[in-house]
Amino acid sequence: MDHQTRIEAASKFLLQAPPGEINDVLNDVRMIINDDGSLQEGILPVLHEYNVTQFITTEVPGVEHQVIISNASKVSQEEGFDQDTSRFVDPQSSKSFAFDHLRLEASDLQPFEFFAETEPLRTALQTATTNYVKDHFHDAVSAVLPSPLVSSSSEEGPKKFIIQIVGNKYNPSNFWAGRWRSSYTLDTESGELTGKIDVTVHYYEQGNVQLASSHAPSISLPASLASSCTQPSNAIKILALIGDVEKKYQESLADAYHLMGDKTFKNLRRALPLTRQKIDWDKVTGYKLGAELNASRTGLNPSD
Amino acid sequence: MGDVLDSMLDLMRRLPPTKIEENVAALTALCPDYADDFLGSVDQPLILKVDRTTGKEYLACDYNRDGDSYRSPWSNEYDPPIDDGTLPSAKMRKLEVAANEAFDTYRELYFEGGVSSVFLWELEDGGFAGVVLLKKVLNPSTSSEPSGSWDSIHVFEAVERGRNAHYKLTSTIMLQLVTRSPGTGEVNLSGSMTRQSEMDAAVPDFSSHVPNTGRMIEDMEIKMRNLLQEVYFGKTRDVVYDLRSVESLEYARRQRELQKELVGFMKR
Repeated sequence: MDHQTRIEAASKFLLQAPPGEINDVLNDVRMIINDDGSLQEGILPVLHEYNVTQFITTEVPGVEHQVIISNASKVSQEEGFDQDTSRFVDPQSSKSFAFDHLRLEASDLQPFEFFAETEPLRTALQTATTNYVKDHFHDAVSAVLPSPLVSSSSEEGPKKFIIQIVGNKYNPSNFWAGRWRSSYTLDTESGELTGKIDVTVHYYEQGNVQLASSHAPSISLPASLASSCTQPSNAIKILALIGDVEKKYQESLADAYHLMGDKTFKNLRRALPLTRQKIDWDKVTGYKLGAELNASRTGLNPSD
Repeated sequence: MGDVLDSMLDLMRRLPPTKIEENVAALTALCPDYADDFLGSVDQPLILKVDRTTGKEYLACDYNRDGDSYRSPWSNEYDPPIDDGTLPSAKMRKLEVAANEAFDTYRELYFEGGVSSVFLWELEDGGFAGVVLLKKVLNPSTSSEPSGSWDSIHVFEAVERGRNAHYKLTSTIMLQLVTRSPGTGEVNLSGSMTRQSEMDAAVPDFSSHVPNTGRMIEDMEIKMRNLLQEVYFGKTRDVVYDLRSVESLEYARRQRELQKELVGFMKR
């Protein structure tokens, strides 16, 4: 297998890493590829992809809160990856920073001035999001970003705003980890709100069990709100709609759990045979086999 | 050397269970030197095959594979046919036939459908080993109904000591459940759990190995079904609610403060 194909195979493994386990997967991949030098070079684009899609959070020197790394917060909106120009924005402190996708380190802070005219709306959305997150997430990070991510020097202001929430829980000593990611795009021109919720859970004590749930809810703004969604005073109403959608999703998820745990699980394998007794293994031979089967089908207990 | 194999197995414990087959294929291609050891240690979903002679379905895995052919427990024949395929001795085959019959009953009573297969082989240092396989797949009749699959892989070793035998069992159950609804989008709960146990039992005659292993595997599956229920529908669900609370946390905080105040007030 040639070098390029090996790096590509390794990249696929990295993109599948469960929440909080990218370093464990990376260590395994290093052992398997056994060529750190070229691996490090080759996997940077895929680590970048992993970080932005998983809403990886990072500490930024001089900033007290965690910051989300995502495509929406990327300063250079060009396609493709270039480590030298990989800069992200922290919307809450209005700073941009360089980000190392391997070491997950932020550096070289510089001021970032958002497009002035839409700032009141963006900060109102951020405040409403922060309050909402505090009310429903035990430990989550949020960001509100203009889309496109234009600075004050731009001639045209942003028409969309992206609201992001990411909550992580890592508990390696009890062998589980989980991640909640949600992202909503408010289109101020059409008054539309679209969303995506991704929930991943990994439980790995003597096993490997994963929950992967992906939902793209459609949210319709009331006509009056759609036409006035650029007013900062309406930010709370927009977040209330988002809160309602997330609540409904979580309730539906509980229903899905109930259905799978109750019905599907039982249809796959019963807890006990219809006779409600364990099998009499000494009897499970020859003609008795047929008798026991008939009894179980009619619900009769062969030992009665 | 062993570190590479450990890393391959560690990866399989972390990567999504929904992608076992493609990840196993990618890893064996990356590390062909470790492929045999790796394939012998990693559990994959069982493959359904049809016995050409009897028309009966059986299960294929690494234990009944010889080259690219798989042996059926019903006709004892390899498919595609091979001349020099490994076969159990006459004595072992007799026990294998009895075990297949017994576990077919077990399958019907617990799974009410699905497919079972048992394969036995002699061990070099005396004793023998075997694998009991069970698989059931649920295909939903409507799109709102969940789909699911259950794969049991029970590998055991039996060593006779006088009129007794010592059994060692390693059981893996793979369970996958998928549901789609307008309210949730796709929800996929899948994975595997592995447990081991040991047991001593009397062996009045050679055929007693069937009820002995039967009881051992039945007990293990009952235990593991409870465990799967707890992990799949309890633990993973708890993590979701640990991430996001349906109820207002602010309200809960205020309630706690109010309670504290009340307690303080009553103490005065």
